[in-house]
Amino acid sequence: MKKYGVWIIVFVCLVFLPLLKLEGYYYRTLCGILLWVGLASAWNITSGFTGYIDFGAVGYFGIGNYATALLMTKAGIPFFAALVISGLISTFIAVFIGRYTMKLRGVYFGIATLAFAEAVKQIVLEFDRTFKVTVFEGSHGITLPIAHDEAFFYYTFLVVVAGIVLTAFMIDRNKFGYALKAIKEAEGSAELAGINTGRYKVSAYALTAFLIGILGGINAYWLTYISPLDVFSVIHTIHMIIMALFGGIGTVFGPVIGAFVLSIANEVIGAKFLYTYLLMLGVILLLVVIFLPQGFIGLLSLRRFKK
Amino acid sequence: MALFIQALVTGLLMGGVYAAYSSGFSLIFGVMNIVNIFHGELIMIGAFTTYWLYSLYGIDPFLTLPISMLTVAVLGYIIQRVLINRVVEAPPMISYLCTFGVHLILANLALLLWSADFRTVTTSYSGVGFSIGPITIPIARLVTFIIAILTTFGIYWFLEKARYGKAIRAASQDKEMARLVGIDIKKVYALTFALGAAITGLAGGLISTYFVIYPQMGLPYTIIAFCVVVLGGMGYIPGALIGGLLLGVIQALTATYLNSGLSVAITFILLFIVLVLKPQGIVGKGIVE
Repeated sequence: MKKYGVWIIVFVCLVFLPLLKLEGYYYRTLCGILLWVGLASAWNITSGFTGYIDFGAVGYFGIGNYATALLMTKAGIPFFAALVISGLISTFIAVFIGRYTMKLRGVYFGIATLAFAEAVKQIVLEFDRTFKVTVFEGSHGITLPIAHDEAFFYYTFLVVVAGIVLTAFMIDRNKFGYALKAIKEAEGSAELAGINTGRYKVSAYALTAFLIGILGGINAYWLTYISPLDVFSVIHTIHMIIMALFGGIGTVFGPVIGAFVLSIANEVIGAKFLYTYLLMLGVILLLVVIFLPQGFIGLLSLRRFKK
Repeated sequence: MALFIQALVTGLLMGGVYAAYSSGFSLIFGVMNIVNIFHGELIMIGAFTTYWLYSLYGIDPFLTLPISMLTVAVLGYIIQRVLINRVVEAPPMISYLCTFGVHLILANLALLLWSADFRTVTTSYSGVGFSIGPITIPIARLVTFIIAILTTFGIYWFLEKARYGKAIRAASQDKEMARLVGIDIKKVYALTFALGAAITGLAGGLISTYFVIYPQMGLPYTIIAFCVVVLGGMGYIPGALIGGLLLGVIQALTATYLNSGLSVAITFILLFIVLVLKPQGIVGKGIVE
């Protein structure tokens, strides 16, 4: 337990951080960092552990956003109930999509998931105009009621994200996680060893979708305004991938570190020089893929090993 | 009926454009098993080469095409030699992420250099077409359509008959055996990449004469190239033509009878269905892992 003491300290510090009476700007930055830690960790549960790189994760983020927004504004359902329902809707869709896409290997899985996310985006964007109804509001987007103080969102994010990291931590060391890693190492052998690989893969995919869907729901209420081009942007998936890779794909704390470092980089550089920032992401991606496939965590353990 | 035929003709011509810029993608995948995410950036650079030569020196877009081809081919060759060769033996996911990195670099470098402005190449013959009865045919697209068909057959012939083409096929079928009989694999890969890039640059130059071009245009083109190539069969060269024409017609019909935004959604749904049900493409000759 000693090894993870530092993470418990980090969590406790985060719980008591609002006592410092932070300004709104810092709250928003912290919420942004937490959101990305959650997204990268949730993405990592499917893609990091099983090696199936999901390029359509943003689809579930968008679905979560829209489900929560619609449930709250059109059906008048309270926030937390809407959040849970959004997570379940995401899961339901993921079980259906996962059953087919999870049969595909490598890049084909990547392409199919990318196509899924883009298709959902286009449907949300064009549904109203095509069928002459008012459901998704097309490119106008949806405005949610403005509510609660910054601390409310901070704690909601903190609890959910801590839950996600804890889930990843538990999966990393239980039977479910071993099965996922066996699939990554050698799927055929895993099958021969009696692991129902299909079921495990779809379960992981659905779990990731559930967690990302919930994060999407909080995001909608937090930002109070969502539009298809924003919440379904493929750049969000790219961020999740690069954050997980940078920190260390397939580890529990790698995505946490990667998301933390890169969200701050985004806040500092990306806000002012977006293109330079994206250019830098490309260079980082190349360097990590070619020279450091284990990510930042891999670098640390290499050091420890050398000592 | 005239509406239907016009939609069909528009779709076929658009399909020709799709085929023109997708066959390079298919070639690179077929030989190296690499899904090239920066494919769209190769189109963008081809288009910008034509644009700059036209707007700075007033050279006719059709005369700039060889220069666009050469520029993009050299760029592709260098990227392949310096970068892709390092990951070509790695698991496909690694090369996928690697080309993703190149995509981010090229697109954003272009943005920094040329700004996000939308640009067009407007010549005296832009938008000119001729009519057969009620059907209008734009000339620039007809030329692209013809070039797409010629390139497809050209590459097919090259791979079947030419000496280097045979080396490329050998390398794609069995790397080790090809190496044993004295084929320099790395050189074959670099040449394949340059060839794929050249036809992509050509398509880029053509596109600049009738579509707006901007540094971020790449990714949507890459995604369409994916769709086209998956529909026709990954790595099967005539597949790009078949997939392109099919997609063009389906999109034109959707745009005519439903709405143009939905045609994009239909594209992805179609891609999804084909990937899941028939990953080797509708003709069944594509490569499946």
